Amino acid sequence: MVHLGQYIPRSSIIHGLDPRVKLAAAVVLSIMILKGDTLTQCWITAFLLILVPLSRLNLCHIRAAFRPMLFFLGLLFFVHLLFTAGTPIPPFPPWPVTITHEGLHTGAFVIWQFSLLILSASILTMSTSPGELISGIERFLRPLKRMGVPSHDLAMMISMAMRFVPTILDELNRIREAQTARGACFKNGPILRRMKATASLLIPLIQSIVRRADALAMAMESRGYNRGPRTYLRELRMDRKDYLALLAFTFAMGLELGGHYVLRHGFA
Amino acid sequence: MIQVENLSYTYEGDEIPALRGINIEIPRGIHIGLIGPNGCGKTTFVRHLNGLLPTTIGDVRVEGLSTKNPADLYRIRQLVGMVFQNPDNQIVGMTVEEDVAFGPGNLALPSEEIARRVREALAQVGLESFGNKAPHALSNGEKQLVCMAGVLAMKPRYIILDEPTAYLDPSGRKMVLDVVRKLHTQGITIIHITHHMDEIVGADRVVVMDRGRIILSEAPKAVFSKVALLKDVGLDVPEVTELMWQLQRMGNPVRTDVLTLEEACRELNACLSHAKPPSRQGF
Repeated sequence: MVHLGQYIPRSSIIHGLDPRVKLAAAVVLSIMILKGDTLTQCWITAFLLILVPLSRLNLCHIRAAFRPMLFFLGLLFFVHLLFTAGTPIPPFPPWPVTITHEGLHTGAFVIWQFSLLILSASILTMSTSPGELISGIERFLRPLKRMGVPSHDLAMMISMAMRFVPTILDELNRIREAQTARGACFKNGPILRRMKATASLLIPLIQSIVRRADALAMAMESRGYNRGPRTYLRELRMDRKDYLALLAFTFAMGLELGGHYVLRHGFA
Repeated sequence: MIQVENLSYTYEGDEIPALRGINIEIPRGIHIGLIGPNGCGKTTFVRHLNGLLPTTIGDVRVEGLSTKNPADLYRIRQLVGMVFQNPDNQIVGMTVEEDVAFGPGNLALPSEEIARRVREALAQVGLESFGNKAPHALSNGEKQLVCMAGVLAMKPRYIILDEPTAYLDPSGRKMVLDVVRKLHTQGITIIHITHHMDEIVGADRVVVMDRGRIILSEAPKAVFSKVALLKDVGLDVPEVTELMWQLQRMGNPVRTDVLTLEEACRELNACLSHAKPPSRQGF
């Protein structure tokens, strides 16, 4: 079972790229998706559809990325459909609400935009391991160090949060079993009692997390953390393929912007 | 060598000191078993050895470096590694490899050197093929081995094990103890806190603590033959020693400085063959 944005280990061109290239591309794409018009969307759709096979992802992966977002997409569509003012479409059966041409158009456009955002973010996270992603972000933040942004610590925090998700879920299950054994009920009964039961999960969980954090801090300190500059097992290095990819991306997006300009204003 | 002189410590807000005047010299290459009842100060003591707790009264020197000097603290932490009880609370990396690389990364070593150390450390604990695994996919024993590899990647001379088997099942315990023994033969000094007496019968020295003091520091045989004293402070002796002690109390002429099953067999055999034939049948 693949879920939203999970890393899919493959050996593809896209997987092999420096995470910074992919991150930068994802940011540029997001801006273009949010700022662009229908023509931009078409171009980016084509571009992303080429990237999917290039990163050796299949339809299953894409579907898994979209499934949890379907409800949200539907909601977005209907909100725009029902609440946009404009020329009404003559209702076939007499509906109590008016649907406008503009509403239909905006609704469709907005879900297209969001689908593209989901798709590009999924390609990024599915083709980049969390570790790489974090070191990519860390590397981008490093110049901000002079302004007091602790990029190493931030990266450490993100990666530890991710590392502890399964551990803490295990812990939560253990606590739930322990409380169920003592007669707590989480599934049915009056809402107030269920809320109380949930508190009986959260308080021990928070307590255990705090205790864990304390022990962890001790272990990290004894392994020499906080000495100052750190190094990594895998330092990111841009090589030829990364620069080529960056160039190709810039070219593709430049072509889109150029084409756009020409269509709008002509060659003059 | 680690030298500890007149070390005392009181936790903030406590009235009773956790440590009262500890004096000990720990030479290189020795395997020390550290035992004592709960709350006797074992953990507090070892946390002074790599400066996790600041030395307030007394002195701790590691290879001549004082833990009171903040500038030496990182060198000391590299020299003295520590493995804690719960492996889940020590692993920081998202993969085994990244976790082992955490320590060398803190030493700001170049990537190639980190990679070499990670490989070597994983080989030392027998987890060569585990590099890319996620920590939560491992058994507790394997996780504890990852923690040990993480310490080994710092190339320490001393490893403190603070009840490393407390969270492990028997097979995990065996994995960890095998590695501990192997590291000792490689010349690494081991300071091993435990509640399982049979884990340290092979140690060079057993140190017994009670109420913040060291009350015994002798070879395992000498320590565990003082059964009454150990029971008095609330400690157990290895099961075979206990057996021999009970037999002796019942009037059998057996020695009680027996720590392993083989020794016990030999001793009992000798005892039986000294006895007269009829009584042997009766026995």
